[in-house]
Amino acid sequence: MNLLDIRNLSLVMISGNKRVVVIDRVSLTMKEGELRGLVGESGSGKSLLAQAIMGVLDTKWIIDADRFHWRGTDLMRLSVSERKKIISKDVAMIFQEPMSCLDPTTTIGEQLEEAVDDKQLTGFFWQKKKQRKLAAVKLLHKVGIKKHSLCTSSYPHQLTEALCQRVMIAMALARRPILLIADEPTAAMESTNQGQIFRLLASLNQLKNMSVLLISHDLENMTHWTNRITVMYSGQFIEAGTTEQIFTTPFHPYTKALVESTSHANLNVTPKSRLSALPGSIPILKHIPIGCRLGPRCPRAQKACVDAPKTKSHHGHLVSCHFSLKDTY
Amino acid sequence: MLIFTLRRLNLFIFTLIVLTALSFSLSFLFPGDALINLTGQVNATPEQRLLLIEEYKFNSNIFQQYWAYLSHLFDGDLGVSIASHLPISSEIMNLLPATIELSVVALIIAMVVGIPLGFIAAVNHEKFADNTILFVSMLGYSIPIFWLGLLAILIFSIELGWLPSAGRLSLVYEIEPITGIQFFDILMSNSEYKWQAFQDATLHIIMPACVVAMAPMTTFIRLARTSMMEVLESSYIKAAKAKGLTFWQIIHRHAIRNALVNVIRYVGLRFANLVTLAMVTEVIFSWPGIGRWLIESIFQRDYTAIQGGLLALSSFIFIVHILSDFIYAALNPLAREHNHGA
Repeated sequence: MNLLDIRNLSLVMISGNKRVVVIDRVSLTMKEGELRGLVGESGSGKSLLAQAIMGVLDTKWIIDADRFHWRGTDLMRLSVSERKKIISKDVAMIFQEPMSCLDPTTTIGEQLEEAVDDKQLTGFFWQKKKQRKLAAVKLLHKVGIKKHSLCTSSYPHQLTEALCQRVMIAMALARRPILLIADEPTAAMESTNQGQIFRLLASLNQLKNMSVLLISHDLENMTHWTNRITVMYSGQFIEAGTTEQIFTTPFHPYTKALVESTSHANLNVTPKSRLSALPGSIPILKHIPIGCRLGPRCPRAQKACVDAPKTKSHHGHLVSCHFSLKDTY
Repeated sequence: MLIFTLRRLNLFIFTLIVLTALSFSLSFLFPGDALINLTGQVNATPEQRLLLIEEYKFNSNIFQQYWAYLSHLFDGDLGVSIASHLPISSEIMNLLPATIELSVVALIIAMVVGIPLGFIAAVNHEKFADNTILFVSMLGYSIPIFWLGLLAILIFSIELGWLPSAGRLSLVYEIEPITGIQFFDILMSNSEYKWQAFQDATLHIIMPACVVAMAPMTTFIRLARTSMMEVLESSYIKAAKAKGLTFWQIIHRHAIRNALVNVIRYVGLRFANLVTLAMVTEVIFSWPGIGRWLIESIFQRDYTAIQGGLLALSSFIFIVHILSDFIYAALNPLAREHNHGA
């Protein structure tokens, strides 16, 4: 059974009396124990999708989906509070910019302790405080922070970005989630720290069978860590498949351009040759093109592209394009 | 924290130097004889005058004069009032506590009512409660304080007869002034009618304090509202939501403290404004405070009193300012120390 099954999720933003469809019918499935990557340029709605899954968006966003199932229960039929209850029990999220996601006036220890679920604690209420502390220390050890007493007594601004990110991961693990959504966990971090964080996530995935949805714009790192990849562009679904499929036989022109623009993933570039890239930039919310939003930038765009393409499946390799590159391989 | 305290003290000392220099220069800027303005001895005989010139070093240069003035200040000698010939320092000691009492009670009312109202408005953003609170705060902000005071007297004292309209305490109670702060004095006294006196003093302070509190309260409402709204949109609140905390847990544990940090910052600034309002209110409610005395002194051209009152009031405001800085530092760990690296 799929852990998370989202079909055609749309996210509408209401600003003033205008409605902007920011995310347009995106599908995403997660299996148990899967490490899936969600890739796209910044501004493609990856973080929004994650926040919509978590249910932390404020009232100016409206979520609509054909199917939004969590382990078989239909979340769209539940009320907001019930949905939140189920989601926050089993799903945890690591946000971008860990420093700003920690309360600046509360110590790390306190913030960690409040994340510990009451159900994990036993005994009477006077024993719980101690257990909470112990649980917090254990969590810090789990994410590789050895000086736990120093860490728990500090405020967020006293720690480095990488340490804060570890604390955020520890906080996410406190509820023993089944699915961890990691939203650019290594943004603004140097590569040694990046490697450590990714290794931590991968080991959690392997040892605890925790599913991870890794959101990143960095396709290169994704190849090492993920089993499957979903690609998004400007709030639209582009392509999904195994990591190998995405890298060796991308069906969508956008994915192809994305793969070609990363120098490492594309090993047959001759030195000093021109790196290929798509012309233009991602459209802003005010001027979203109709139909396939890649249209104005797409090298293969034709008249049919003014209608949004339907998603087609080729043996589990999903692609959403009128003129897919499938036949060229 | 030690360095933080030292820096605040340093600021305090330098501000006091500037303040005293200003008040010293005032005696030269006011019309009339500088020595008379400084000491208030209008009817001094030539012998007394010579003595004063010697005491205040008026025959040597200006720095020595200033130094002599400072040493007089530290001895608690601010001269005598030109109008009443009473020592200024004893007048201030008698009157300042009443003003402190009034403005502190007003500040507490403004904060205790204003800040939670602002928070409630922010939590119910763009709903009925928010609009109502904003409307009331706009109204309160635009009402002139003297008019509000007169209206309050008209309604609550004359029409309804609930509250006394003037003074600090009914004359029937005899309370020995020890600290000058009425409530402490009543509690410390061993009068038989202690509690009745306490009740009476409370009734007396309610109306003027509420009138003074009105304008600062409305600013606190709006400050608290914007700062709470900012906090609620921040990513750590989102992260706390994702942690699975309930809405009230988030408000209670994370939002209130962070929103308060921003509000407390402005409390010290608003306090100077509040004291000015208190001065006007003192006149309306015949509150025996320093504000009323100062305004009377201005009418009587009592230059020594103006100088002394100015010095006392501004040091009081400044002390409150520093206190609010300390509260801010206690709430906000970022203010306590330098940021390393970041």
